[in-house]
Amino acid sequence: MIVRDIMTTKLVTVEPDDTLGHAAQLLRQHQFHHLPVARTVKQAASQRNAYTMQKTLLFEGVLTAQDLEMAAAPVPHDSSREGLHRPWQEQRVVEVMRPTPMCVTPLTAVGAAAQLLVERGLQYLPVVDYTQSEAETQTILLGLLTRSDLLLAFAHSMGADKPGVDVHIPFTAGNMTPVAQALLLAAELHIYVHRVFAVHPAGGAAHTATIRLGTIHPAPLLARLHEAHIPYTFADPAREDDTYV
Amino acid sequence: MSSTPAQTRARLIFDACELQYDFGHDHPFQARRLAALIDLLESSGLWHSGDERQSWPFRPASMEELSLIHLPEYISAVQQLSMPEENLGDPQQEQAKRAQLAREYGFAEGDTPAIAGMYEVAARIAGGTLVALSTVMGLEEGETGAPEERPLHIFHPAGGLHHAWAERASGFCIYNDIAVAIAHVLRSSEAKVLYIDFDAHHGDGVQRAFYDEPRVMTISLHETGRYLFPGTGDVLELGNGLGRGYSVNLPLAPFTEDDSYIEVMNALLPPLVMSFAPDVIISQHGCDTHAWDPLTHLELTTRSIQAQVRCAHRLAHTYCHGRWVALGGGGYDQFRVVPRVWSMLWAEMSEQALPEQLPEQWIERWRPAWEAVKEQEVLEQELAGKTSFFADFPTTFEDQADHFPPQPRRWSISLENRRMAAMLRQILVPSPIRKVFAAAQRQSPLTDLYDLLHPGGAQGEQSEVFETPKESILLRNFCPPSLVERLTVDSGLHAFARLPEREHQLLVDIARSPDCALTLAHTSAGAIVGEVTLTFGDDWWEGLENIYEVTIEVSSNWRELGLARKLLAFALELETLEDMILFAMGLSWHWDLEGMGITPRRYREMIRQLFSSQGFTEYATTEPNINLEPANILLVRIGKRVDQYVANRFLRRISSSPHLTGL
Repeated sequence: MIVRDIMTTKLVTVEPDDTLGHAAQLLRQHQFHHLPVARTVKQAASQRNAYTMQKTLLFEGVLTAQDLEMAAAPVPHDSSREGLHRPWQEQRVVEVMRPTPMCVTPLTAVGAAAQLLVERGLQYLPVVDYTQSEAETQTILLGLLTRSDLLLAFAHSMGADKPGVDVHIPFTAGNMTPVAQALLLAAELHIYVHRVFAVHPAGGAAHTATIRLGTIHPAPLLARLHEAHIPYTFADPAREDDTYV
Repeated sequence: MSSTPAQTRARLIFDACELQYDFGHDHPFQARRLAALIDLLESSGLWHSGDERQSWPFRPASMEELSLIHLPEYISAVQQLSMPEENLGDPQQEQAKRAQLAREYGFAEGDTPAIAGMYEVAARIAGGTLVALSTVMGLEEGETGAPEERPLHIFHPAGGLHHAWAERASGFCIYNDIAVAIAHVLRSSEAKVLYIDFDAHHGDGVQRAFYDEPRVMTISLHETGRYLFPGTGDVLELGNGLGRGYSVNLPLAPFTEDDSYIEVMNALLPPLVMSFAPDVIISQHGCDTHAWDPLTHLELTTRSIQAQVRCAHRLAHTYCHGRWVALGGGGYDQFRVVPRVWSMLWAEMSEQALPEQLPEQWIERWRPAWEAVKEQEVLEQELAGKTSFFADFPTTFEDQADHFPPQPRRWSISLENRRMAAMLRQILVPSPIRKVFAAAQRQSPLTDLYDLLHPGGAQGEQSEVFETPKESILLRNFCPPSLVERLTVDSGLHAFARLPEREHQLLVDIARSPDCALTLAHTSAGAIVGEVTLTFGDDWWEGLENIYEVTIEVSSNWRELGLARKLLAFALELETLEDMILFAMGLSWHWDLEGMGITPRRYREMIRQLFSSQGFTEYATTEPNINLEPANILLVRIGKRVDQYVANRFLRRISSSPHLTGL
């Protein structure tokens, strides 16, 4: 999976010259915590020998709700700056926004991006592409990768968005043969498999693969697993001491 | 006319063509169970297909009605897949097209195979439920009988296909008859609809259809989705947007038995129905919760199932003028369970006495059918981990208790269920209603709250006059039930029970409860415009002493007059309250944000200021409900004479681990 597959592309952005009042309005309206700042330029793009005007977002930085709050906080009275003071709503985004933070490209691996988010304590990563135009590098904003995007991708890869049942199959590290056997049996019985998902548990617990089946009636598969002596867990044990069926 | 009105006002909808909804012999969902049901009803004299006073005509749902819920592409895919294969053009191309449709719309996954004629029968079933719901609501086009002759209760055993989604078939369900019927009522009337799902599987299709709709409350009691299809139905799936708080899910532990089931059902359903104030109840009675069912892990018997039906019946009469539609649903022990429990449902609905024994001829006819699938059924139960086998055919309507040995983990399972129900009650049921429908016995068996607050003996109720620019308001504490009964409720007072009449009944019940102290503000004409209740802290606070919860509500017609502040000060004037810890929980989903026209943050600030005028301060806490929303707030006042040890225990509790303790 790469960033392009899961990033948010429907962006709400502000221009560097927009007022903070406008930005605050957007943040409140969409309940966002951060807004990418970008200049919208129309560039001629050639497509099949016909020139069309294409909108491009040139990435400038990010405005966070925190930046806004700092700007909105009352400043101690300073007589030397008398007359310069303007209400925060009238200040420009470019005055308070952060310079370009860390970015990723659409081809970055999702795992690497996730690692980056956690290690640096970030809430989001701008997804950009670099182009050369008139001897100058332009940073084009393509999307945003937020923690929510990652969580959703995680939930989807577990199959949580599809109705079905989970069967857990334990396996020894490095050898997923029981999982493969179970999948073969499912295919034989025409049972739809939504996802297979294996976790690498911390603390040396048993490795488990979760097979999400798109069926309300897994009994035929369970019967075959039982026959083939493939261990599995399905439902809580009836007794305290039962672990695997 | 020898029959009572109640008897003639219950109907059962069935048509032989509904037996076409059948996925074939090797499939768990077969129409034979319905045939067995109808045979049992007829042979035990509970229902006769020819009797017009017991049945009701119905029609298929139209394309337009189906499209209230389903996407037009899906409906036409069902139509195409429903046509017999032979009489169509190029077979190979046709087959590829069909396979493509089946993959796209959920027919390729094995559970819900495409069958010939399925469009007609699925539309027919959807029509049955739609006609049933419209009829009890008095909406049906043609049949406009006098209101007092209209059927009040209708049972549609072929309905209840709760898994179908807007764009795909799922879990044996093609069209979601329930959602279609509810959507039809929503657009043709102002009614609010309560849907109760007793099936062992989560009612995901219906919940999805109305997840953001505050006029439909969906309540589903099901086995947890940890392992069972469809995997959803977590307790925190509460609804979205305006519909927040109107989707209710009680996931039960596998191997749940009767006592635990009945306990949590009674703890949850009545207060929720009271607070929602629906106009009609539609309930799905999937009986795959039964201990013999091969597809699930629940261990119920007919005792719980009887309790479900009675509960729905009673709630319909108490809150909905009797308007009630019951549907079938899951149930995969086709011969031993389905016919018996749905006959019980019909007997309860039509108020007929249920015979004890199953008719001999019926057993003779259906026992061989069961013998043929017996081995398979036992194997599947075994695979599901069930232990309560009873390898024989029942001879009575009700289950015999000794056929169901107790489950080894009964205690921990009931504990888990009880915690789940307590959490839902905390989240969804406003505190005053919770007190009226107390889950456990009261805390102080010897004295009631009045005596506790007046250690020096009775001093009688106090009253005071508060002058407002509008008119003068009387404040009274410890209002007795007789006083509350004589008063009326202002139209703007509805935060807890949503309708002024219900709010009135609720206040009377609170006044009756020995565990509650009720302070009221009313006009000289006797309209209640504000209330403060003082009650024992329950559930999460269990085990702590001297801890009381305060709730306050002021009618939306009487705001911004300083009434709330005055009323709160008056209610908390008692000297004995200095010996106690008082707390108030601000839960944003109970706030009248619309009426006030302000944001949750501002509302929170308003509440904080109101309570801080009485010496309350805000505390950070790990209490699960407060933690659900950042806007929620816990306000506490520790009385001056509270023992340091008690106060410390309280402070430890509010920041303890976020599990419900002391249950």
